[in-house]
Amino acid sequence: MSQTRDVNQTPAAPRPVRPRIEAEELPAPRLEAAIELPDLPDRVPRQPLGMPALAGSGAAVLILGLAGIETSNLVADEFARGAALGWTTLTIAAAGFSLIGVGFLREATALSALRGVDRLRADLAGTDARRLVRAARAWVRHLPEAPTLLPAIAAINDPDAVITLLRAGPAASLRAKSEALGRTAALQAVAGIAAMPSPGLAALYIAWRGLRLVRQVAALHGYRPGLFGTLALIRRTALSAATVAGTEMAANAAAHALVSNPLLQHLAGDMAGAGIAARRMIVLARAADAACSPVPEG
Amino acid sequence: MSWLGDVAGGVQRFVVGGAQVLSPWNLFSNTVRIGVTGLSRAGKTAFLTSAAALLLARTQPRFALAPLGAGDVPRFDQARHLAALAGDPPHWPERTDSVSMLALTAQVDQSPLPSRTVRLEFLDYPGEWLLDLPLLALAYSDWSERTLARLEAPAIAAITKEFLGFTHGLPARAPADEALAKAGTELYRRMLGRLRDAGFSYLQPGRHLMPAPGPEPPWIFFFPARGQGPFAQLLAKRYDAYVEQVRRSLASPLFAEVDRLVVLADVLSALHAGAAAFEDTRAALAAAAGALRWRFSWADALGALVELRMPPKVIGRVAFVATKCDHVAERQRGNLAALMRNLAQVPGDGVTTAHFAAASVRCTEDFVWTLEGRPVSAVRGRVLGQQVLTRSYPGEVPDQPPDASFWTHPFLALPQFEPMRLADGGRLGVPNIGMDAVLNFLLQDVM
Repeated sequence: MSQTRDVNQTPAAPRPVRPRIEAEELPAPRLEAAIELPDLPDRVPRQPLGMPALAGSGAAVLILGLAGIETSNLVADEFARGAALGWTTLTIAAAGFSLIGVGFLREATALSALRGVDRLRADLAGTDARRLVRAARAWVRHLPEAPTLLPAIAAINDPDAVITLLRAGPAASLRAKSEALGRTAALQAVAGIAAMPSPGLAALYIAWRGLRLVRQVAALHGYRPGLFGTLALIRRTALSAATVAGTEMAANAAAHALVSNPLLQHLAGDMAGAGIAARRMIVLARAADAACSPVPEG
Repeated sequence: MSWLGDVAGGVQRFVVGGAQVLSPWNLFSNTVRIGVTGLSRAGKTAFLTSAAALLLARTQPRFALAPLGAGDVPRFDQARHLAALAGDPPHWPERTDSVSMLALTAQVDQSPLPSRTVRLEFLDYPGEWLLDLPLLALAYSDWSERTLARLEAPAIAAITKEFLGFTHGLPARAPADEALAKAGTELYRRMLGRLRDAGFSYLQPGRHLMPAPGPEPPWIFFFPARGQGPFAQLLAKRYDAYVEQVRRSLASPLFAEVDRLVVLADVLSALHAGAAAFEDTRAALAAAAGALRWRFSWADALGALVELRMPPKVIGRVAFVATKCDHVAERQRGNLAALMRNLAQVPGDGVTTAHFAAASVRCTEDFVWTLEGRPVSAVRGRVLGQQVLTRSYPGEVPDQPPDASFWTHPFLALPQFEPMRLADGGRLGVPNIGMDAVLNFLLQDVM
């Protein structure tokens, strides 16, 4: 069977669709585009725990675990002897372990806060504008200047301008306060060395004063480091001391200005190492400030 | 001997290209000035706002807003325009009424060499003023003759009748009277405004439609008129003063320094406005393009040397962009870019050109609409101030300048859609169509 086609009969061109604009009936939310965000760079993988950390953690688990078991046995024994005795023992044990737990929680919070500073610093120093602005907001939110700074950050669309704002505003203010603490500590170091009866005690005093200074600067930045937090902070301070080494000359000048008091000058001249101790306190304050501040150096 | 012409053309292109690459600006300056030009209501401010937001959101290379130094040009308020788009409810940026500039810097990695700082300067100005540039090459009598010839077209007689009646009725020896000049200028301005509302673009002088801020100087009161009498001489003097002002405030300090260009046109609205308005848009684009500096001129270079300044730059790269392409479905955007290619061309060669269909700020989403029993690619979005979606199928976009049969079908007016929601206040960029392609084309040889 063959198909035939009438060549004289051309198909009619389809009539064009009439343009129109119509409103739908139901309300609709504002349209939102699925913006293709750039892939966020992977973070550096965390290092596995080292030997001291593993050993320390193991010791802590053993001490706390075995102490817990011992305490449970003790509580059970006391309950066997009498309900009142049992409840009393349980209350004492619970209070004791709660205090230890609060202590650990505080340490963990302090360590976490320090890690948070590292994260914020990495984000603020990075090239990802979104992370940078988010980190700036997160840091500023806890500062007294938050009511004025947060709207300013929201208004600025330039990440570099945000960093400049942070450097010139809260970071500079915190640095000035840290340096004031450093000058006070330096003054006390000079006076303390003069008052100490032996060089050994003077060294001990300087060590304690330095530790206190680091904790004071941390408190200034809103951290309350415990024992481990302070150790971690000292480690960071030692690392950041390298970054503030360039300020050595400024620290010298500050130390000289500090001991310009005739009495202190006399003491610093007489006491070996008093001037050095004063200078170290000032450097330590700057290093601690750099360790606690997430704003990268300009 | 066509091969001889080809060889000569090739040598010319090589020499011109080499001169541009080795020009003092490329060797000693890392500043690239990009003029964002276009007819009024083409979306220049939205384009610049979106372009800046997209560049600032890029991570590689990283851009930052840069200070403008001690220049005269005000800063383009990108933050305010972006906030208007990001607001809830959103607003379109206000009409531009003065020249402004936006500067960005970027650190460009060129390892193993040290990284290089590139400064981008975007220039924004009222679209109405673009058509002042062709006036620089015209005497008052020539401009009057050409303008009146356009205004006498029958298609726009209803709008121009009043002004034409006035100017044609002026006596040949009319005195140089201030009241007469003011009355004629007011009539002319009113007529220009009505023509703009009707979709026409070739409207000169630009400051009649968008006056510069501040009190009006006496020379602003002029209009096209025929004749040689005292009144015509007064108008001619004022025209010359106006042209000199354009040269001093716009052409010499700003356009002479532009080395790449974005030309924006709202082609879809021109399709709606009808055959006369479409032809008018085409003529306006051609006039504006013809007034820009596309070729190196020895005369200009020598003139600059005499005045102890650098010779004016030559525009080396130009992007022609048909804006608001999100008002038609994706299927039609290729046609829109092709139509733009047919409408706008650079006079001469040696200039790298490209044509795009783009939406600086996307307002709609595509969907398939069944109309008269047939599936049609259409768009929908929320119109400003409304809570419901509006569906739009304005008509078919031709891929070349439309013929008479096209105008027998309607092409509907574009609804004023509201911008899509901007994520994080626009910090992550602005929803758009085709902007990356435009920016990459403009910057690919400097980044």
